Amino acid sequence: MEDWSPEAGTVGEALTRQGVSRRALLKYGSYLATLMALPPTAGKAIAQSLAKAKRQSVIYISFQECTGCLESLTRSFSPSIEDMIFNLISLDYQETLQAAAGEAAEKARQDAMAANKGKYVVVVDGSVPTADNGVYSTIGGKTNVEILKETVADAMAVLSVGTCASFGGLPYANPNPTGAVPVSALVTDKPVINVSGCPPVPEVIAGTIAYIVTFGKLPPLDRHNRPTPFFGDSIHDRCYRRPFYDKGLFAKAFDDEGARNGWCLYELGCKGPITYNSCATVKWNGGTSYPIQSGHSCLGCSEPNFWDLGGFYRPLPDPTDKRPAAVGAAAVAGAAVGIATAAAARSRKRKATHEGGPSK
Amino acid sequence: MHDAGPFENVRTGLARAIEREILQHLQALAADGTETAIDLRSLPMSAADRAELDAALGRGEVSAKLSTMGESEVWETRFPGVWWVRHCGRDGRVIAEQVEIALTPEILKADIADVRAAAMRLRDHLAAREPE
Amino acid sequence: MTLLDFARGPAIDAALIVFVFGIAWRLTWLLFLPHSVDFSPPRPRAPGRIAGAAKGFIRHMWPASAYAGRTMFGVINSYVFHIGLAIVVLGFAEHVLFIRDLTGFTWATLPTGIITVVAVVTLAALVVQLMRRLFDPVLKLISTAGDYWAWFVTTLPVATGIATVSHLWLRYEDLLAIHILSVCLFLISFPFGKLMHAFIVFITRSQTGITYSRRGAEI
Repeated sequence: MEDWSPEAGTVGEALTRQGVSRRALLKYGSYLATLMALPPTAGKAIAQSLAKAKRQSVIYISFQECTGCLESLTRSFSPSIEDMIFNLISLDYQETLQAAAGEAAEKARQDAMAANKGKYVVVVDGSVPTADNGVYSTIGGKTNVEILKETVADAMAVLSVGTCASFGGLPYANPNPTGAVPVSALVTDKPVINVSGCPPVPEVIAGTIAYIVTFGKLPPLDRHNRPTPFFGDSIHDRCYRRPFYDKGLFAKAFDDEGARNGWCLYELGCKGPITYNSCATVKWNGGTSYPIQSGHSCLGCSEPNFWDLGGFYRPLPDPTDKRPAAVGAAAVAGAAVGIATAAAARSRKRKATHEGGPSK
Repeated sequence: MHDAGPFENVRTGLARAIEREILQHLQALAADGTETAIDLRSLPMSAADRAELDAALGRGEVSAKLSTMGESEVWETRFPGVWWVRHCGRDGRVIAEQVEIALTPEILKADIADVRAAAMRLRDHLAAREPE
Repeated sequence: MTLLDFARGPAIDAALIVFVFGIAWRLTWLLFLPHSVDFSPPRPRAPGRIAGAAKGFIRHMWPASAYAGRTMFGVINSYVFHIGLAIVVLGFAEHVLFIRDLTGFTWATLPTGIITVVAVVTLAALVVQLMRRLFDPVLKLISTAGDYWAWFVTTLPVATGIATVSHLWLRYEDLLAIHILSVCLFLISFPFGKLMHAFIVFITRSQTGITYSRRGAEI
């Protein structure tokens, strides 16, 4: 009998080794097709493509971050179909999850980079501090700036996971004492995909990686370099409270009658109209709920600068940079100039009258 | 995909529209064997819509349970060729749901790679028994 | 900084400062200008200053019968867009939020559907007003660049506002930014052109009423 073993290093081989059937992979393919809004018949093509695909080497490095993005990816579904993602990738380096530490861990990173030169994906979470030569975040004596530069040198692509890596996030917020910058500010010669959110929806992180492994290319990106299958719609456009917005029925305070009737949260500071993410469709905690459904306005956490949008409870029409003292001074200055202009007019009239001739 | 809010008990009429689409696909299947599927999770169906569609399509002769990466249920409706496929994850929540118009739903068929792996396993199992 | 960050931040801040400065300047200047004193005695039974002012203002709200035929269409069309603007600016919930943030005052608002209808009617009336200005030979003759600019900076917020609420053509954050910037343009232009009539009309019509009622005439 021939040897029908699947090709080594492929996703198919990894699954066979674990006793996971192709039927399970087809079920996963159907799930991905739904998640990415592809036609349901694409599920079979996705499964076949995944079976033949090489397990994608991933090096995950963490900078100025809270580990919330990793927690989002690893803790949310326990266990469930999204665990499949760990069969699609070979997570060759990840500080929180790996057993190795210290110099052994650093060696693991160097070895993985060398073995997969030109083909590995770097996943970064956390922003990169640049003030004072980047001294505010170092690992093993090296600054984040150095580690980033060294790790992406032979990478195929970079995935900035979370708003900190994508746009600077919390460290970047006013006054940004560490000089934090997003990954894309420092990596300009490799494709950078921003999977933003604070944290990102776990299915979105996994789905983006699955897209890359399935189709062998990067997904289409929006103006902020976020994958459009997941960031194409605003929360507002998919929110179940939208009919109340359209009618003009707004909750005025948390737990008032409007809030209890499920009215729109625009007046309570909802940034849903300007925020692009999958929260309203995919939701959180395995489809349980999302902030608006739980009664709280959207913070806009997948958008750049969301910490400095004026305040989570200040609605979108509110100006963010009010200077009442300057406005008061402008009123006084205007009045002063007005009096001066009128005084000049009076003095012109007086001169004209005293110099003889008919008064004007 | 709305699991909450005051709309879950509202019938939007979407079920009727889907039934008509199913008819078109079923006619194509009957004419030249074209197989298709409709993704129910991508449509803005309320719970009432889903119940209305389920009641309209009913149950047929075949039902199957899959235990792989969680439970999945497949049943033929009272219209042969129209199958309802519901996939659940290991935590029990629905992760994909579709109406497949086909001779057999894709998920029920054995995959050739699995068959090959099974052939090798059975061979090894029988070889291990040989010495008796 | 995105366009919306700029519009909600430095742009509206600067526009409000220029607006307040300009209004204070123009009004103070106007009120302190020298004016001639009427040395003749008031006519018998002439009303006092306040009554004269009030009567004069109210009388000017409708054209005198001699001119009514010629001007009626313009008068009615103008009332349509002025009242429409007031309803939209003061009755739309999102606008009241802006006003509340600046002044602390808030009030009950109108349903969005009604606002949208009124806004569309207002926009139509504004376009008709422009057509009148362009095609009536007398109006066209006496119109200046300032008139057309005042029309433009008033109509742009109405048009961009309708597009924003209806989510037309662009992404919402860009629509809202453009709408706020169009309001900034309106605020900056306001004190230095024809739009000042919004404040001055109360002064001039009342003054006309005072001056002529003292002399026994109702103009």
